[in-house]
Amino acid sequence: MNLDSIPPIAMDPAAPTLPDTFTATILLVEDELVTRTSMAARLKRLGHRVLEAGNGRTGLDLARREKPDLIIVDWVMPEMDGPTFCEALRRDPVLKSSQLLLMTSHDQPAQIAEGLARGADDFLSKAASKQEIAARVLAGLRTSRLVRELETTGDKLESSILLLQRKQAETEADLQTAATFVQSLLPLQGSPIQGIALAWEYQPSLTLGGDLFGVMAIDADHLGLYILDASGHGVAAALRSASLMTFLRVENMLQLLGSYDPEKVLFEANRRFPLSADGEYFTLWVGQLHLPTRSLSYASAGHPGALLSSAESPSRWLTRASSPLGFDPIARFDSDRVSLKPADRLFLLSDGIYEVPSPGGELWGRRHFQDVIDAGRNTSLAATISSCFSEARRWQQARQFPDDAAVVGLELIGRAEGESRG
Amino acid sequence: MHIKERIVPKGMILDVVGDLTYANRSVFKAAVEKAKQAGCRHLIVNLEQVRFVDSAGLGLLVLVSQSFKLQQAQVSMLKPQSYVREILSLANIPKMIPIYESEEDVLTERAA
Repeated sequence: MNLDSIPPIAMDPAAPTLPDTFTATILLVEDELVTRTSMAARLKRLGHRVLEAGNGRTGLDLARREKPDLIIVDWVMPEMDGPTFCEALRRDPVLKSSQLLLMTSHDQPAQIAEGLARGADDFLSKAASKQEIAARVLAGLRTSRLVRELETTGDKLESSILLLQRKQAETEADLQTAATFVQSLLPLQGSPIQGIALAWEYQPSLTLGGDLFGVMAIDADHLGLYILDASGHGVAAALRSASLMTFLRVENMLQLLGSYDPEKVLFEANRRFPLSADGEYFTLWVGQLHLPTRSLSYASAGHPGALLSSAESPSRWLTRASSPLGFDPIARFDSDRVSLKPADRLFLLSDGIYEVPSPGGELWGRRHFQDVIDAGRNTSLAATISSCFSEARRWQQARQFPDDAAVVGLELIGRAEGESRG
Repeated sequence: MHIKERIVPKGMILDVVGDLTYANRSVFKAAVEKAKQAGCRHLIVNLEQVRFVDSAGLGLLVLVSQSFKLQQAQVSMLKPQSYVREILSLANIPKMIPIYESEEDVLTERAA
């Protein structure tokens, strides 16, 4: 049987096959003209395109230009021998994964080891039979094909990752813009109305937060307050919160209800924001402060509430058990009333500030939060709020909160009864 | 969080271990769905081994309660720890899903 007549495919049915029409490009680097011509003829008879180079330097130039599927290089050549050619090829970023057959008239183990160590993939004896040549060339081409497929897959993977990274960066930028917009809806710190100081700190767990709050003048005598918490996290929760925040605008409430009465506000919000099919809902605390009398009326829909801190007595929670919005379509939200005194502080907060676990899993809890508020009576409002965040962070031993965390502090400007300024 | 199901007379107990939170919602939903598919008429959520329920967890409990009610089936809770009990109470959940202190109580009182 004349092996030269067999196409370079499917010699072993079990091995990966090359397509029938496959014509490989093989670079043959050999300084001896006779050997080179003879080998080139054999390779051409196997159906391949053969490039010939008479020395290593020309071979490298040809390899860079043509990127052959397989390179066969003679060991012994003037100027640049076969192993040096192999080393140069492996250093080249474009050609380094080329398949290399080192041709030699020797087959000593030490020489083979040196050739492999310097970059050859396989050996081809100059005394090899036609069958052996065909088999080794075929094996080299199979490997070359696999390597190229791998490189292509790697390239695709890399470009997919780059694409994903670019998309992610775009999404992050969009979220940041949305977050900036939502932050712009939050009240300005300072004095929202004469006689009241306002400070707050807000740390969303993600770029966009679902806990929002408002402090706004209803008229010359009334200040409206609320804090809302959307269940869940992420963009969906943030969008739902922004929608409730829009609903809670003073103008909207006055138009719909004629007042900012907390009971009425919660009743209407409960009607309009039902529990979603995925179990998403809001908790909401609403208050209205009558400034001339310092009388605060408030009501809660499942919200953990507000904390009133007074100079004379320990702080106390302003809340009562109630259903969150949407749990019960006919729920009523009874309001309570409390008289505030000069220098009293009122803190609206989301549960995310105290529901922070220690590394051992123990929650910081409302009691610890309350302790920080009580201990901060003699420090500024902003400093007290800041302490709440730093203590919670110290407890969880992490900067980022697992849920949105917000603390809004209001202080009735004025001296507490019996307090004198020295 | 992981959940083990136990069949009891006229119902099923879900022994929940871990936190019932936003991050674990799919595990809880899957367990409830399985109970529904099995034709459960009384779902008892055992919270004895639950340290924390967040707002998403509360929402799930209410959703499950509403969906069982629509099918004339019922949901109960068993032995919540004190902090979880406080969270549940603040949101009025026990008015919708009664709390029991023992398996015997829940099985006898709700069967009545």
